[in-house]
Amino acid sequence: MSGARDSEQGLRTGPSQDEIRRLNLGALLRYVHLRGPTSRAELTTNLGLNRSTIGALTADLAAAGLILEELPRDRGRAGRPSLVVRPEPAAYVFAFTIEADRITAARVGLGGVILDRRDTPRPRGELPPVEVVAPLADAVRAMQRSIPPGARYIGSGAAVSAMVRREDGLVRLAPHVGWVDEPLGETLAKVLGPDRPVTIRNGADLRALAEHTRGAAVGCDNLVYLHGDAGIGGGIIAGGRPMTGHGGYGGEVGHMVVNPAGSPCGCGARGCWETEVGEAALLRAAARDGYGRELVAAVVDAAARGDAVAQNAIRQVGDWLGFGVANLVNIFNPEMVIFGGSLREVYLAAAAQVRSRLNRNGLPACREHVRLRTPLLGDDAALLGAAEVAFEPLLKDPLLP
Amino acid sequence: MTATPLLEVRGINKSFGPVQVLRDVDFAIYPGEVTALVGDNGAGKSTLVKCLSGIHPIDSGEYYFDGNPVTVHSPRDAASLGVEIVYQDLALCDNLDVVQNMFLGRERRNGIVLDEVTMEQLASETLTSLSVRTVTSVRQLVASLSGGQRQTVAIAKAVLWNSKVVILDEPTAALGVAQTANVLELLRRLADTGHAVVLISHNMNDVFAVSDRIAAMYLGRMAAQVKATDVTHAQVVELITAGRSGELGLAPSGTESVNGVES
Repeated sequence: MSGARDSEQGLRTGPSQDEIRRLNLGALLRYVHLRGPTSRAELTTNLGLNRSTIGALTADLAAAGLILEELPRDRGRAGRPSLVVRPEPAAYVFAFTIEADRITAARVGLGGVILDRRDTPRPRGELPPVEVVAPLADAVRAMQRSIPPGARYIGSGAAVSAMVRREDGLVRLAPHVGWVDEPLGETLAKVLGPDRPVTIRNGADLRALAEHTRGAAVGCDNLVYLHGDAGIGGGIIAGGRPMTGHGGYGGEVGHMVVNPAGSPCGCGARGCWETEVGEAALLRAAARDGYGRELVAAVVDAAARGDAVAQNAIRQVGDWLGFGVANLVNIFNPEMVIFGGSLREVYLAAAAQVRSRLNRNGLPACREHVRLRTPLLGDDAALLGAAEVAFEPLLKDPLLP
Repeated sequence: MTATPLLEVRGINKSFGPVQVLRDVDFAIYPGEVTALVGDNGAGKSTLVKCLSGIHPIDSGEYYFDGNPVTVHSPRDAASLGVEIVYQDLALCDNLDVVQNMFLGRERRNGIVLDEVTMEQLASETLTSLSVRTVTSVRQLVASLSGGQRQTVAIAKAVLWNSKVVILDEPTAALGVAQTANVLELLRRLADTGHAVVLISHNMNDVFAVSDRIAAMYLGRMAAQVKATDVTHAQVVELITAGRSGELGLAPSGTESVNGVES
């Protein structure tokens, strides 16, 4: 911030040697963290740094226990082989996801490898926060027992299907678990210790981030991620940055009102998009009782086998899905829209419907390059996204104590 | 997206005896894109694809690869250009394992013995590069695989040979819903890694779920080749069944008589 003010007054001196070094260390660590093992030669070309600078940086990072250097396995070419730099998974974070039907805790190493994970299924419906935090705490303790010596804890991240205040992880509203103003960040910090940060974010935002950094949308700077479970969550990345709004509550695409005459939504409004395309809408239209992704898959399966009621339900939901996507495409002009969670199955079954709607309702200039895709990371996306935000302080300043 | 097609044919004609199966067909395939080839039964989709892969010699017409005119007389010519086809019946050997199938007829040797280690490594690298998680062991017999897994192996086999064009004849026809989803995602990933992919399918959802372009054939002619972002479901169905839809498709003139029947 002070840098910006300085430059306004024309007083800005160049960044100090220390700052440059920190930036370069961060850039190098982020590169191998996201892209995996990379030879020094490639790093030199891709980061645009001097060969000896790369050498000094890797030495610093190796001393800090963040990377490993080794000779490449396959030596097909003549000449001295360039050392391969790989992220050291001994630096780890805890990542948590609180989803509609399960709670997951995992230990994720640098480089985005899931080293250990514990899933706890949970019933749908309201759930007091204690019953969420207790299994997470148990899982953390169990995982801590198997951590090899020398491993280094960086921080934690959690993905919740809820509206979360960015600064302190206060869950403002989680309609599907029935939480209002729940200090999840504080509670988790008590479990994990106060010396390292615990970052709480919206699940769909983190899925979007994960697909952007290592999934289907690598290299794609404008994307909309739609996630279906109990409701519809949205994660938006615009110009390469997550678009979360002023307080961190943005991207609630499930609550755009598409049908004022529609049915009431859990949020209190009427005719929200999720009441027309959510799981409940599909299952209602297909005359099924119950909930869950298996049931959605069963409806899709029945439709493929010729069940007319299921086919109708898919068509109807696909139509509404197309309407909403057309709106989002007109507003954000994304390169890619990703359908995750139960929306993946729904999209694949109703793709023609969705595309037709988009082609009829989307503005030609906005939709001409949009690609409709399914996620690459599958169910791990939320965990990897949570790990990503937990690693963020380290990637900003790799030599932080 | 890309201006130059990787593979293009212009004015292809093909007759089997007195029956003209393809008339003046133009078809272009672009790298990094999935092109869906749709049409009713007997519209000439399979024949067109067999002409592309050199199984059927063409009677007349031009064949361009990467902008250069080439002649393709046999499947071997097509394979050397990097054109691979995955057939409906998959053409895998049940009594061999995944690695043996992928290298069938093109085995790696180390001296006089087969280089099993390298082959196994290459096979699993190919499967990993396609993010295939459904096949757990590359030493499984193909007989023990499900339909979706077989399709995956057949596609991976096509990719292993540095192919640039991968043509799939109804890859999802015999699959369940979950396997179909996996195969469609695999196709998409194939295109995203720069391959030019052709998908023959009757399922409009599959077509719209993955393709960038749609080529519709009607009674041996190419009715239209359009971007998927420009047409709706209903338009494609019209192209398939009537050969035209609004301004798209074949000209509605008296010249359009097929097998003597005025349409």
